[in-house]
Amino acid sequence: MVLCLIALPVFAVMGIFSFKYRKLALESLNCLLRTATFRKCRSSLDEQIKGSITGKLIRLSPKASVFVYRNYKILSFLALLLFAFASYGSAVGIYNYVQYGNCNGPEDVGFCVLDPTGQNSKLSELDIDIPTKVILPELEANDPIIGPKSAELTVIEFGCYACPYTKKAEPIVEEVIAYYKGKVNFQFKTMLIPHHAASLEAALAAECSIEQGKYEQYHSLLFQSQTGLTEDSLVQLAGSIGMDTGEFKACLETQKFKDEVSADTLQGYQAAVAGTPTFFVNGQRITGPKPFRTFKTIIDRELKK
Amino acid sequence: MMFGYNAEKIRKDFPVLKQPIIYFDNACMSLKPVHVLKKMEEYYTKYTACAGRSSHRLAAKVEEEVDLSRMEIKRFINAKSAKEIIFTRNTTEGINIVANSIGLKKGDEVLITDKEHNSNLVPWLKMRNKGVTLKIARTNPDGTLDIGHFSSLLGNKTKLVSVVFTSNVDGVTNPVKHISKIAHENGSLLLVDGAQAVPSMEVDVRNLDVDFLAFSGHKMLGPTGTGVLYGKESVLDKMEQFIVGGETVIDTTHESYKMEELPMRFEAGLQDYAGIIGFGEACRYLNNVGMKKISQHESVLNSIITEGLASNPKISILGPADPKERGGVFSFNIKGMSPHEISRILDASKGILTRSGMHCVHSWYNSRGINGSVRASLYLYNTEEEAGIFVEQIRKISGLSV
Repeated sequence: MVLCLIALPVFAVMGIFSFKYRKLALESLNCLLRTATFRKCRSSLDEQIKGSITGKLIRLSPKASVFVYRNYKILSFLALLLFAFASYGSAVGIYNYVQYGNCNGPEDVGFCVLDPTGQNSKLSELDIDIPTKVILPELEANDPIIGPKSAELTVIEFGCYACPYTKKAEPIVEEVIAYYKGKVNFQFKTMLIPHHAASLEAALAAECSIEQGKYEQYHSLLFQSQTGLTEDSLVQLAGSIGMDTGEFKACLETQKFKDEVSADTLQGYQAAVAGTPTFFVNGQRITGPKPFRTFKTIIDRELKK
Repeated sequence: MMFGYNAEKIRKDFPVLKQPIIYFDNACMSLKPVHVLKKMEEYYTKYTACAGRSSHRLAAKVEEEVDLSRMEIKRFINAKSAKEIIFTRNTTEGINIVANSIGLKKGDEVLITDKEHNSNLVPWLKMRNKGVTLKIARTNPDGTLDIGHFSSLLGNKTKLVSVVFTSNVDGVTNPVKHISKIAHENGSLLLVDGAQAVPSMEVDVRNLDVDFLAFSGHKMLGPTGTGVLYGKESVLDKMEQFIVGGETVIDTTHESYKMEELPMRFEAGLQDYAGIIGFGEACRYLNNVGMKKISQHESVLNSIITEGLASNPKISILGPADPKERGGVFSFNIKGMSPHEISRILDASKGILTRSGMHCVHSWYNSRGINGSVRASLYLYNTEEEAGIFVEQIRKISGLSV
C-alpha cells in the first residue's frame, strides 16, 4: 500500500512516455483504491517491488538484503515521507518558478533547475557584507520617477546604468508600467557597481539630465548605448536629445550630484542589496531581472491591500 | 547425470538460452528450438498459401505440410487415424469444443477433480446454465486423487469425466488408465486435459483408452496459439459441430449445409498453418530426443531440487514428498514470504525465471486457504547445474524471512 502511493504518481508520469508504465500506474491506482476502501489489494505490485529490490541486493550484500527484507515496511514508509517531502519541495519550486521566475522565490538568485542558465536571476554583484539590521529603502522626492508621475504604488529599483542585467530588466519595467495604466510607477535609485566601467559617470550624467527635465528620455538612451560609455559620449547623448551640452558637461565635470549618487548607493547597502537590479515593492524584494509574471503576482497582491 | 542424455547439446538449439537466465517456467511456456522456428519461417518465406481451398503449387505444399504435421502428432500420441487430430488454438479451446459438442443436456452430470485448471473447470461451471450438474472429486492432502471418492461420484447420469492428466500445480499425474477403465465401465466418456502431461511423457491414447485428449503446442516446444483435440473417431463422428463456417462444410444452399469430413468439420475458418507446421516439427524434435528420456531427465532434476530443499523447515513443498511423483514440477512456499516476492527475488538475483501465484487453479488454492505458490517447472534443456544453483539461491532466500 505504502509503495503504491509512491508508485502511482511516479508511474503516472512515466506512463506519459511508455505504455508499460501506464499499466503499472493503473495497477497502483487499483491497489490504492482497494486498500483505501479496506479491501484486499489484488495487485502483487508491492510484493514484486519488494522482491526486485531484495533480489538485487542479495547479490551485492546478503546482510543488507536481510535488513531490507525484514524492515521493508519501515523503509517504504520512510521512502514515502521522503517522497512526500520531495514532492512538496518540487511543487513549491515549480510554483515559485512560475510565479517568480526562480524556484526559490523572488528574492533568491541561487541555482534553479527550471532556469538552468539563471537568466532570470543574474545580478551585477557587489562584494558587500550583509548589514545586521536591514533598513528598507524609502521613496525620496529628489529621485527620478519612471512612468506616471503619481501612482497608487511605486516600485523602487536599485540599478546601475552600466549593468547589463539592469538593462535586461528595462523592457520588463516598461511592460509593468504599461500594464497597470497609471497605477504603478518606478523610482530609480542608482547603485554604483565599482567593477563596471563608467558606472559613476553614467549615474552622475543621469542626475544631470533631471536638471534639464530630460531624465526619462536620457535614462532610456543610457541603456540603449550602454557599451563603451565615456564622458564625451555621455555629453554627446545629452546633446542628441536637445540638452544644453555646456551646462550638462559642467554638471558632469564638477560631479555635482556625487553626494546624491553616494546616498542612493548607501541606501542600497543598508537595504542589503547584493547586486543590480534589485526591486522593492513595499518591502517585498525582487532580485534580478525576473519575468513580468513575478512583478504581476507581487504588485497585484500589494494593490489589493 | 543420466546416461546418454546431453542437455548441454540440446540447449544449443534454443536461441533464448543464450541469455544469462535459468528458465524454470516450462509448465507455462516452453522455449522453441531453431528447428521449429525455421519450419515456421519456411511457410512464411516459401509457401505462404491456403490449405484445402486453392489448387496451385503453393497451396498443395501447405496441404502436404499440414497433413504431415497431423500425421506426426497422430504418431506422437499413437492415435489410430489422422482424422482424430483436430487442430485448435490451445487446450482450452479443445475442452470447450467437447463441452459444446457432446450434447450435454439437463440432468446430465460431469465429473471433474478439485485440482483442475480453470480451463477444465469454467466450461463445466458454465454448463450448469443448461441444467448440467458438476460433480467434483477431491484430492488427498498429498495431491493425489482420492480414487474412492472419485468412483463414488460416478453414476448413471455421468455423461462425461474430465480430468487433468498431470497437474500444473504440483506435478501429480492422475491414474488415467484406471480412471478410463472405471469411467467406461460406467458408460461415461473420458476427456483428459493433457496440457502438462503430453509435453513431458509418453502418452498413448489407445493404450490409455481415452475418448478425448486436449493439449497445447506452446508447452511442448511448439508455437503459441496451437493445440490439438484428439477424439476417438467413433465419438467425434457422433458429435455436433461447435464453431461453424468456412472449411467445416462441403456444400451449402441458402437453406442447408452439408458437414465436412473429420477432422475439418471441427476446424472452422482459416487455420494457423505456420503454427500447425511448427507444432509438427516440435513433435519431431521431441521424438528425436525421446519422451522417456525427457521424463527421466525432469525427474532427475526434480530429485536434485527436492533433496536439496526438503529438509529446510521453512520450505513447504506442494504435492507428494517423493519427487518421482511430481514429474518436472517443484511447487513450494517459504514460511513468512509471499510467492510473488520469492519469484521476483529469484529473477532479480540470479535470473531464475519461475511462476508465482495460483497458476490458474484458483479453486484448489482457495479451497485450501493457500495464497498461491512458487512453481519451478523443468524441461529437457534444463541442467543439473541449474538445479544446483536454484537450490543454493532458495536456501539464501529462505534466510531472508524471520
